Amino acid sequence: MLSDREVISTLEMLKNEHLDVRTITLGISLFDCVAQDPRIFRENVRKKIIRLAGSLVKICDEVGLRYGIPVVNKRVAVSPIAVAACSHSSLDMIEIARTLDETAAEIGIDFIGGFSALVEKGFTTGDRALLDAVPEALSATGRVCASVNVASTHAGINMDAVYLMGKIIRKAAELSRDSDGIACAKLCVFANIPQDVPFMAGAYLGVGEPDAVINVGVSGPGVVKKAIDRARLSSPSLDLGALSEIIKRTAFKVTRVGELIGREVAGKLGVPFGVVDLSLAPTPNVGDSVGEIFQSLGLSSIGVPGTTAALALLNDAVKKGGAFASSYVGGLSGAFIPVSEDLNIAEAAGRGFLTIEKLEAMTSVCSVGLDMVALPGDTSAETIAGIIADEMAIGVINKKTTAARLIPVPGKVAGEKASFGGLLGGATIIHVPGGDGSKGFISLGGRIPAPVHSLMN
Amino acid sequence: MNKVIISVLGQDRPGIIAAVSKTLFEHQCNIEDVSQTILQTEFAGVFIASVPNHETEDSLLDGLCRALTPLGLSVLLRRMDDAPAWTAPDTEPFVITTIGPDRLGLVAGITGLLAGFGVNITNLKAVFRGGSDPMQNTMIYEVDIPVEIDQSRFRAALQERARDLGLDISLQHRNVFEAIHRV
Repeated sequence: MLSDREVISTLEMLKNEHLDVRTITLGISLFDCVAQDPRIFRENVRKKIIRLAGSLVKICDEVGLRYGIPVVNKRVAVSPIAVAACSHSSLDMIEIARTLDETAAEIGIDFIGGFSALVEKGFTTGDRALLDAVPEALSATGRVCASVNVASTHAGINMDAVYLMGKIIRKAAELSRDSDGIACAKLCVFANIPQDVPFMAGAYLGVGEPDAVINVGVSGPGVVKKAIDRARLSSPSLDLGALSEIIKRTAFKVTRVGELIGREVAGKLGVPFGVVDLSLAPTPNVGDSVGEIFQSLGLSSIGVPGTTAALALLNDAVKKGGAFASSYVGGLSGAFIPVSEDLNIAEAAGRGFLTIEKLEAMTSVCSVGLDMVALPGDTSAETIAGIIADEMAIGVINKKTTAARLIPVPGKVAGEKASFGGLLGGATIIHVPGGDGSKGFISLGGRIPAPVHSLMN
Repeated sequence: MNKVIISVLGQDRPGIIAAVSKTLFEHQCNIEDVSQTILQTEFAGVFIASVPNHETEDSLLDGLCRALTPLGLSVLLRRMDDAPAWTAPDTEPFVITTIGPDRLGLVAGITGLLAGFGVNITNLKAVFRGGSDPMQNTMIYEVDIPVEIDQSRFRAALQERARDLGLDISLQHRNVFEAIHRV
C-alpha cells in the first residue's frame, strides 16, 4: 500500500517541478557498417540506425505514458565517424553527415551525435578528413552533432588540435552567420570525453561500448530547486549540510525514475541498459534552471562570490544521491551551466554577474565546461583556441571531463543578443578580455605533456 | 475449523481492538488477518478468524455483541466461503490519482468506469475537504488493470470521464512510486 504522501509528492514533482527523463539516447555502433565505397557505407549506416532506432520514439513515448513521466528527448549516438569512416575523404564525410541528418529525421529525433574524432594524441587521416568537414557538415545539417576530444589526463593536450578547433569554430560560425553561428552550438571540444554521454552535443558511442546500448540523462534542475525551496520554507534554519542532504535525496529520486524508464525502454528495444548520467541539465524555461538553484541557496545571482562553492556543493550532492540510486552511473554526471540554454544563467551573463573568467572557474568543480557561451563575432581563432586550451587544462590536471562549446556570433559584439532558438535558447554576447594576446602561445603548437600523477596539489 | 469475517463499526475510542480480540480469545478463535481504519471520528475494523469446530457462529456473535454494544459499536459476522466469488485475471498494478473541485458523484463516476473495464480497486483513499486548494480534494486509487484489456482505450475513457467530472487525473504504473520513494 502506498502512502498519500508518496503519491501526492510524486504528482507535485511532475506537475510543478518538471520531473521528467531528460534524454534517452540509443548508442549504435557503426563499425560493422564499414565499406570502401562511401555510398555503401552510408546505406549501411542508414539501414542499421533505422533497424535499431526505428521504434525508439514510439517506445519512449509508450513507456513515458505508462509511468506518467515524459521522456523529453530521444536521441541517437553513433560510433565516432572519424574512426568508422576512416578511409573516406572530407567530401564523403559531409555526405555522411547528410545521411545521419536524413536518417535522424526519418526516425523522428531532433539530434544525432557522433560526428566525432578523438585526437588527443594525434590525427589519423580519418580525423583530418572529418575535422575538415565539420564546418560544412554542421551548417548544412540541422540534427547532426559533433564532438572532438583534444586532450586527456593520460595524453596531455594536443595543441595543434586546439588551434585547429579555433579555426573550425570560426569557419562554422561564418557558414551559419544567418542564424547567429548556430553550427557551433552543435560542436563540443572535450578533454577526457566519456564514452557513454547521453547528452548532446557531446554524445557519441565509444569504441569500448556494445553494439547498441541505452544511456539515460536524468531530470533537470527544477525538482532540486523546489525541494530546496520547500525545505527552507518549512525549516528556515537549515544550514548547507542539511541542504546538501535535501539535494542528495532529490537526486536519488530523479535517478531512480531515469533508471526505471531507461531499463524498460532498453528491454523493449532488446538492447542492454548502459548508464544513468546524473547531470542537472536545464532548459530555457522558468523553473527548469540551474541558475535558479543558486538563488534558492541564498545567492543574489549565479556569478556573485560564493557561486563556485555553491556549485561544488550542488554537484557533489547530486552525484552522491544518484550514485546510491543506480549502480551504473556514467556520462558527464554533474551540473551543466550552458549559458544560452538556461534562462537564469543567460540573464546573469547579460547583467554582468557572470564573466567568462567566472564561468571558467566554475567549470573546475562541475561538468561540463564553457557551454553555449556566445562570443563576439570578431574573436580570433587564436583567442578561441586559448579559451579552449585553458578549459582543457582544467580537465586534464583535475582528471575530469571538461568541454567548450563556444559560438563566435558573426557580425555581433559584446553586449548584443544572440538567439539560437528552441532548447538552445539565446544569450548576451560575453566580453572576452585580452585583445588578441593568445596568438604567440597558440601558434607554438605541439602537445602539452600529460601531467604527473603524484605530487598532487 | 471454519473461518469467519467480522466487521466492527462505530465511533473511535481506545479499547475497541482490545475488546474484540479479548472476546475472540475467550471463544478460542485464532485471528488470521486484521485491518482497521479511522475516517474522521469513525472506526472501522475487519477481522478474519478461524473458529474451533465446537464453537458456533451464533455464540461467537452473541459474545461480540455483549462486549461491543455497550461501547456503541455495531458488529457483523459472516462465515467465509471456501471458493472465491471471482478469479483474478493477469493484471498490472497502477495508481490513479484525481485532483479537482468536490461535487456529487465523483467516486461513483470513476469507479463505475473502472468496473466496466474489469479493473479491480485494491486500495482507495479519497479525501474531500473542499476549499480552494485542489490538493484538499484528492482520490488515490490503487488498481489492478487486467492485461488483456485495450490499455489505450481504457486510458482514453478514463481521461474523458475525468474531464466530464472536472477532475485532473493521472494514471501511472505503481512501480514509479516505489522506485522514487523506497530504497
